[in-house]
Amino acid sequence: MGLADELLVDAHFMADKAIPDQRQTLMRRSISTAYYAAFHLFIEDFVEHWEFPDQRARLGRMFGHTKMCTGFTPKDKKAPTPVEQALQDVVRAFSQLQKDREKADYDGGWRLIETDVRNAIRLAEDVFSKWRTIKGEDIARHHLLSMFGARSD
Amino acid sequence: MYLPPAVTKQAEIEAAIARVQQSVGPDLVRIRYEIGEDWSGQWAIFFRIVLTDDAARRRLGDVATKVERALDQQLDFPGMGVFPYHNFRSVSEQAMLQEAAWA
Repeated sequence: MGLADELLVDAHFMADKAIPDQRQTLMRRSISTAYYAAFHLFIEDFVEHWEFPDQRARLGRMFGHTKMCTGFTPKDKKAPTPVEQALQDVVRAFSQLQKDREKADYDGGWRLIETDVRNAIRLAEDVFSKWRTIKGEDIARHHLLSMFGARSD
Repeated sequence: MYLPPAVTKQAEIEAAIARVQQSVGPDLVRIRYEIGEDWSGQWAIFFRIVLTDDAARRRLGDVATKVERALDQQLDFPGMGVFPYHNFRSVSEQAMLQEAAWA
């Protein structure tokens, strides 16, 4: 199991512990961990194609959070293809997770509720399942490059 | 000061929300929104979505995805210069928190 999958398991674990007791700090950690699970999923996918295994961790540290939230619009917005729809869902979920992570880590006035935590887990699971279905598709590969700063054609 | 086109399209946004409420059905109680800058300084539209307790507890994934996709289809976010964010809570959670922005 890679780091991304382990983090997702941990996010679940923390959510299950935090929600019954309404333990705010653990709810925050669960949301933050759900985001980092998705973050590492993309990094792992990107660096696994780097030829030199001993350099992959170093390569992974090059990527910045803000750049990774790049948008995606299907060619025909009213009738996206299944792959476009999945990619749009992934992009939306990842951006939401990033915003929620920021809030969970830095907004001390945020009073969290069960749905905040469950929604973050739901978004991370959505990113994992949909990304793994489409990651071999051309538009997904191009989008992954854009997430790491590559310019469009 | 730059303001995104979304600021002048509030009637369009309200109408789209009404259509989304109709298409999603009774699981969706109401949608409120606010336009502002997100944590990175980019313009965004923050949707605050209240669901029935049953939907939030048992069908959060399905209902939330339905709402998010419906809003995506109804509104041209890139054209409005904003990125959409969606936060959800149940009727009971809102009753406990009593936040005016969600009422």
